[in-house]
Amino acid sequence: MGEYAIEVSGLGVRFRRNRRGRQSIKSMFASASRRTPKGEFWALRDISFNVKPGESIGVVGRNGQGKSTLLKLVAGVLLADEGTVEVHGGVAPLIEITGGFVGDLTVRENVRLTGGLHGMSKAEVASRYDGIIEFAELEDFQDTPYKHLSNGMKVRLAFSVVSQLDEPILIVDEVLAVGDKTFREKCYRRIEEMLAAGRTLFFVSHNERDLKRFCERGLYIRDHRLVMDDSIENVLKTYNADNA
Amino acid sequence: MSTAIGAPGSPRRNLHSLWVLSARDLRVRYATSWLGYLWSVLDPLVMSLIYWFVFTQIFHRSVGSDPYIVFLIAALLPWVWFNACVSDFTRAFQRDAKLVRSTAMPRTIWIGRIVLSKGIEFLFALPVLVLFVVFSGAEVTWGVLWFPVAIIVQAILLTGLGLILAPLCVLFEDLERTTKLVLRALFYATPIIYSATDLPEGFGWLPLANPLDGIFSMYRSAFFAEQWNTASVVASVVWSIGLLIVGIFVFRGLERDVLKEL
Repeated sequence: MGEYAIEVSGLGVRFRRNRRGRQSIKSMFASASRRTPKGEFWALRDISFNVKPGESIGVVGRNGQGKSTLLKLVAGVLLADEGTVEVHGGVAPLIEITGGFVGDLTVRENVRLTGGLHGMSKAEVASRYDGIIEFAELEDFQDTPYKHLSNGMKVRLAFSVVSQLDEPILIVDEVLAVGDKTFREKCYRRIEEMLAAGRTLFFVSHNERDLKRFCERGLYIRDHRLVMDDSIENVLKTYNADNA
Repeated sequence: MSTAIGAPGSPRRNLHSLWVLSARDLRVRYATSWLGYLWSVLDPLVMSLIYWFVFTQIFHRSVGSDPYIVFLIAALLPWVWFNACVSDFTRAFQRDAKLVRSTAMPRTIWIGRIVLSKGIEFLFALPVLVLFVVFSGAEVTWGVLWFPVAIIVQAILLTGLGLILAPLCVLFEDLERTTKLVLRALFYATPIIYSATDLPEGFGWLPLANPLDGIFSMYRSAFFAEQWNTASVVASVVWSIGLLIVGIFVFRGLERDVLKEL
């Protein structure tokens, strides 16, 4: 592994403001240049930072400023319009509440599918399966279609599977807010274990206590740009001053 | 760390992902109902019987080769593969949008998975063809060696088409309906119920313009030596490779917008 786990430089991504007015086919093939086509806005722009292996980063910012978009870019499920994201090593993503589960498949099948897509062999999924179900407290729902689970159960399953992946980078969006207190505490202990084992954490939250608990370093995103990259205490101080 | 299959993004990991998805499709297809296998062969079988009835019992057939039922099935089975793939391409990303949105892997896998799982279904349906060959007393020629080549060329053609069609269908919703119409027209524009040699004068360009013609000519030459058409086969190979190259560029150009749209 190189010096950095995540290298982001000059990152920018733009979205359309509305669904109407699709781009012409010609403009889609044009290279992503600096100009901003009509009706589009930059959700993130000129973002640069590096993350060392084992660091834990908290991303702070108001709603709609591009925090989740940044996570998706790092997770590789969205592609940048300009700049680059380099991630060395695999990513265990916990983004969006669903975390990539399929509604029609049962809990059992979903665990196999997600594990398989993250490179677990059949035997490995089998050997970890009981642990995953036990952690998620879903012993009685193994053959229930995923769509029939309650929201809390879905989050429990998602966290349980993703935290079992052997990927060196863990990405957590605000999903954990849904679970009940006991389970959240269980998840947090698991995250702490993973951090202690040297994983890199990329964490988005509005909860100051959680941010201070897990993260050493903070990134503050305001007006779609990275305005501060400092220790989490300083970042939170600035953020609170801005929004006082 | 050592337990995972291949490093993230490595060819081995990607092949594993491709297989996991295809295997899931097949399991859904064959395991969810005990009629699973029958369903996958019933469609081409019923179609073959209908055409056989219409063209040998009602009309006096002047097209194709004998035995006509083998002539039909030899093209209908690969047509079902083609048709099923192209229909699925129109929803390749939407169907599993949540997985696409949350799993970092090459997006081409979502195309490959359709070609592969439908291709395996096609292979599973081949015993039906063998059965009819045996019972109708059709002659097997050396042309049967072209059969695997035809499968490979068809897989290349389908992958190329999928790389073009799947992202465009996300960006332009109308395309899904248009594709269905085109498929229906293509069924009759392709030598399935007739042979390319039956085309009237002035349509000589059709076998060269339609990549399926050369592919089906390869399949059929296994039983009917006269169905081989060198120019058409060469054209289909050129078409397939050309479409694959175009597909790779189109996909690369549109991937970014597709992910934003999902």
